[in-house]
Order: sequence, then structure tokens, then C-alpha cells
Amino acid sequence: MEMEMGNSGLAVEKHVQYILSVEKRKDDFVSVVMEHLRLNGAYWGLTTLDLLGKIHAVDVDEVVSWIMACQHESGGFGGNIGHDPHILYTLSAVQVLALFDKIHILDIDKVTNYITKLQNEDGSFSGDMWGEVDTRFSYIAICCLSLLHRLDSINVEKAVDYIVSCKNMDGGFGCTPGGESHAGQIFCCVGALAITGSLDKVDKDLLGWWLCERQVKSGGLNGRPEKLPDVCYSWWVLSSLIMIDRVHWIDKEKLIKFILDCQDTENGGISDRPDDAVDVFHTYFGVAGLSLLEYPGVKPIDPAYALPTDVVNRIFFNG
Amino acid sequence: MEADGAAVLLLRRLNSILDSDPLIDEVGFVHPTQLASLVGSQGGSLAGDVDCKLYCRDHKLGISTDVVVTLYREAKRAFFEAKKKYEAEEGTDSEEMEDDLIRFSRAVVLLSSDFGTAWNSRKMIVSKKGLLTMFMNELQLSELILSYVPKSDQAWSHRRWAIKMISGKSQTLQEILRKESELVEKIAERSKMNYRAWNHRGWLVSFMTREQVLTELNKSKSWAGLHVADNSSFHYRRRLLMRYLKNSCHENEKLPQGPSKEECHLWKEELNWNESLLKKYIGREALWLHRRFLSLCWIRHFSACHSPLPCFSENVTGGPDHFLDQELNLVTSCLVVPDNNFDDFEAQATHSATYTLWLAKQLPRTGGVEFAEKLRENNICSLVHKFCPNISFLEMIADANQSGTQGGN
Ligand SMILES: [Zn+2]
Repeated sequence: MEMEMGNSGLAVEKHVQYILSVEKRKDDFVSVVMEHLRLNGAYWGLTTLDLLGKIHAVDVDEVVSWIMACQHESGGFGGNIGHDPHILYTLSAVQVLALFDKIHILDIDKVTNYITKLQNEDGSFSGDMWGEVDTRFSYIAICCLSLLHRLDSINVEKAVDYIVSCKNMDGGFGCTPGGESHAGQIFCCVGALAITGSLDKVDKDLLGWWLCERQVKSGGLNGRPEKLPDVCYSWWVLSSLIMIDRVHWIDKEKLIKFILDCQDTENGGISDRPDDAVDVFHTYFGVAGLSLLEYPGVKPIDPAYALPTDVVNRIFFNG
Repeated sequence: MEADGAAVLLLRRLNSILDSDPLIDEVGFVHPTQLASLVGSQGGSLAGDVDCKLYCRDHKLGISTDVVVTLYREAKRAFFEAKKKYEAEEGTDSEEMEDDLIRFSRAVVLLSSDFGTAWNSRKMIVSKKGLLTMFMNELQLSELILSYVPKSDQAWSHRRWAIKMISGKSQTLQEILRKESELVEKIAERSKMNYRAWNHRGWLVSFMTREQVLTELNKSKSWAGLHVADNSSFHYRRRLLMRYLKNSCHENEKLPQGPSKEECHLWKEELNWNESLLKKYIGREALWLHRRFLSLCWIRHFSACHSPLPCFSENVTGGPDHFLDQELNLVTSCLVVPDNNFDDFEAQATHSATYTLWLAKQLPRTGGVEFAEKLRENNICSLVHKFCPNISFLEMIADANQSGTQGGN
């Protein structure tokens, strides 16, 4: 197993089979403790399938009616049926509906209203009615409303100001003002600024520097200084670098090799690091990372909306 | 979903253990044979057929791994049933229904720590009751869960919610802040570079008085010095230092005299401490990043100040030129790679050359033209090519810097 030299590339069929099997698996401990965020899982799995050109392997009606059953009367979505709504799952619901070209079945006013009410006086967003604030939620609100063509329902200027107030001296961003820079938070802040046309607020050379320092000797990317590389940062770091136009600063070939080395070529799926156990989350981020690296056979993905480019084009140019 | 008899008994047993021992401070998921031997040898607490599945002794709770899924399913079923009942009869103020919801949601979050809906039900009932003891129980429950799931986003978030609720009610906020800080340090010891934990500690800073900020700076120093790879712990210090500066800027708003003597002293001390760590622990990225922050702040807030600084007049540090000379000396001393111990010293040289280039790129914005000149004299470009081989973006930046064309758009 470990001496498999000469990597033969992305094991597309195996990954498709893996994703489909996870959907059906409901009994082991991992799927049981993940059920509160099943809607996030659906987004990771289905987007992967779409990027690999296999979205039609799933029953659209079944998925869509399940998603609609996760909607709460407030307009927000829970991570599963009967769970409380949260902005995290609301974006996943909208994204999955977008994959299937089904956004029109939503009561757009209701979803918009749920998100709009979560904006605070200082421009930040809470994740739900209990008030935790995080720049992740700013991104989600902005991305979601933009997909619904309702960005004008919030105070965009204040939302942008809040995100800028979370910028650090190293050029990165944290979850709240003064929070430590983290590649995941940086993706959220840069993504939100990209969608709102505010990338001039980013110090591109400085942030690009911080992001490029995430590439370690193995070619993989980490999310913070001194951490081990992890496939999921292929997405967060790369998409940010693309949005600020600095992706030519990293070694793409080495990163592709790192991601491919994290595949389980026998049973499908991608793990965080070579030889670890695979999961849907890292399978999605690995495939999405390869998509950003223009790997052959993977559809292009939009770095800000985290959806296949053709889906985003359909929403903004044909809708 | 129907309740199954054995599962109901298990959950009842779990709840009674948790009720009878509010001081449980550890939960372990134990292999069935190991748990059976624990029960057999020590005879913890016994109760019928579920004996060898749950074990509690000395405030340590053991749960047999072969019943975790069953127990979780039953807890979830009971929780949703109680939630439904409660919501259907909202306003009737039934203590019993509230108790059920509190007990079943507790079992759910113990077994699935990021199950947000269960945490939410607790928030709803506890805030409705508004009793300080109940808020304190929430802090205790989330602490217990963090002891074995130290990265649980929901558990950390629940603490922040509880603290915000208490902060308006209780005189003990300062005491709570102190304990929170200690808790994070304890968890950070076992769970290295835990972003959520340190973010929580950083969040506390906004509640601190100037004195507390100083106390925290002192207290967190020894931990940081022993964990030099943990960027989060250094970031915590940066946050404290910035808070200290900002506080005084605010006080001085009407008197723009620049930083005080104490502030200069604090910064100088941090710079010296960082230098001693750099020389003791060779090639640590987090230490060099901390220095980037300290130096840039020093130049921006202290040495670039046009009015005479109290610390300069006392000649504690010298002016900006002196500072930059010192930095160049430090960098030069870190570029020496001896023949043995190659890797660490090589990393040290890379970090040190990178640090110089980083400062050079940042300084023109802060008006440090002389430094840029000095670096050109010291030929930073060839330093980068020599000590940062294969880091192509640094070589590109260095080349652009050399030719005077600033990259970017
Ligand atoms: Zn990961």
C-alpha cells in the first residue's frame, strides 16, 4: 500500500463511489456525531460530485425535499430536520439548491429576512439568535444574499467596515477585531470583500506573503504558523491567493502532488494528510483545491462563492 | 422513534450518575473489557444490568465504547421529545418539563459536543430562569466537555454566552476572567495550538482593566517561553500589548504626547525577551513572527514619533537609527550556519533573512526611508537568494525591492 510509487492521478471514480457511500451510511459513530451538520455534509459531498461531473448520480427530488424539510419557520435552515436554524446551514442549503438550479423554490423574502435580522449595529453578523459574532458569519450572510440577489437588504458598507476592523498587522484576518489570523477566516473575509467589490481594502502584497508562508516543504499548506499541512487549507489559502491575484507566488506542482498523496486510491476519499483516514470534508477541499489548480478533469470552481463556475454564471448571467 | 428498554435504562443511569455527582471532572470512553475490569475490581457504583457499561468513581465517569451510539441515540430521542413537549406547552411554566430538557440536553452534548440545538435549549431555559447558579453550572458543564473535546466550537461559544449573561448580573466578573484565563492555559497545555481556546482567552481581553492586562502579560510570559512554537500564545500577548497601547491612546486623546515611559519600557522588555528566546530556540517561526510585530509597532508608535520620547531622552533605547542598527546586528548574527546542527540553523537563517525583507517592505509606509537604504547597502537581495532558496515568492519580492519597483497593483 505505502509503496505505491508513480501516482496515477486523481481517482475520480473511487471518490464518486466514496461520496455516494457516505450518503447512505448512517450507523457508525462518525456519521452519528455528524448528523447535526448533515446539511454542511450534503454541500461538501454534492459539490464534489458536481466538480467531478457526477452530480446526476443523486436523486435531485429526494435531496431537495430533504433540504426544504430542514427549513425553520424563521426562514433559516437547521443542520438536519428538527434542528435549530443557523446561518452556517442556511448558506449550505442555498448553495445545494443552486447546484440543482432550484433556488427559485425558496421563499426568497423569508430567507433574506432571517439573514438580515442577524446583522448587528456595528455591521457584524451573529450566527443565530444567541449572538455569537464571527467574520465567518459575515461571509455567509454576504455570499448567501448575493446568491439570492438581495445584497441590498443589509448595510453592506458597515459589513465591510467590520471585516476591515478584523485585519491584523500581518495582513491576515481573525474572527473578531484583534483575533489571530487564520487561513479559514482569511478566506471568509477576502471572499466577502470580493463579493462586495471591496478588495481594495486588502493589503495584497502583505496578505499574499502571509498566505504563501503557509506552504511547507512537502508542498502542502498549513492554516497557521508552525502547524502541519492539511488538505483543507489547499482551498482556503489558494482561493484567497486567487482572489487577491497572488497565486503565482506558490509552488502549484508541489501542492498538486501533496493533495494527490492524500487520496485513498483503494476505497476513495481524501484525508487531511497522507495516510490519515479520509472524510467528506477533506475530500471536498482536496477536489476543490485541484479545481483551483486547473487540474484536468475537474470543473472550475469560483473562489469566492465556493460553487462551480457554471453554477455561479447561471445565477448571475442567465438568471 | 420508539424508545428501546435497555437504552432507556442506560440513559436513566447516566442521568442519575450525573445528578448524584456534580463534581465529575473527567469523562472517558473506555473499551468494554477494560470497563468491566474497572467495575469488577473496584466496585464503583452498581445498578443492575447496565453495571458494566457506565462507571463512576473519584469524579471520573467512564462510558463503555460499545454503548456510546445507543446512548447517544436515546439521549437525542428523549431530548427532541422533551423539546417538542416544552414548545407545545410554552407559557405553562412546568418545572418538570424544564428539568427534562436540561437533563436530556446535558446527555446529548456530553456525547456530541457540537450539537448546537441541545446547547440552545439550555440557553433558553437558563436565561429564562436567570439564576446565577444555573449560569455557573453551564460554565462547569462546558468545562467538563472541553476537558475531552478541547476544540469544541459550541462549548467555547456557550461559555462566552454564559459570561456575557453573568457580566451584567454579578460582582464576580473579574474573578471569572481570572479563572477563564487559567482554564485556557490548562487546556492549551494538553491541546497544542488550539485556535478556539486561545481565541476565547483573547476575547476576554476586552473586559480587562489596565492592571489586569499587565497581570496577564506577566502571567502568560512563562507559558509562552516554554511553548515557543505556539503562535496563538504569542498572538495573545500581541493582543494584550495592543490593548495596553490603545487604552492609553484613548486616555491621551486630548494630549497627543505619544506613548508613555511605561509603554516604551514594556515594549523594550518584550523585544529583549524575544531576542533571548530567538537565540535559545533556533529556527522557530512563531518567534520571528512575534518580532515582526514588535519591531513594526516599535517603529510606528515609538521611534517614528517626532516629539522627543521620554525613554529616548533617558537614553534607554536610543533613536530609530539605533534601533535599526541593532536589528541588523541581530539578523547578521542569525545568518551563521555552523556545520553541525544544520537544519535548525538553516531555518534560523531563512527566518532571519525573511524578517529583514519583511521589515524593508513594511517600512517605506511608515517613513523609514533610511532603513530601506541601509538594507540596500547590506544587499538584502542576495541574502534572500542565499538563505531562502526555493522560496520563489520571497526571491521575487526581493528582486522587485532591489530594482525599486514595488510589486502589486
Ligand atoms: Zn483539515
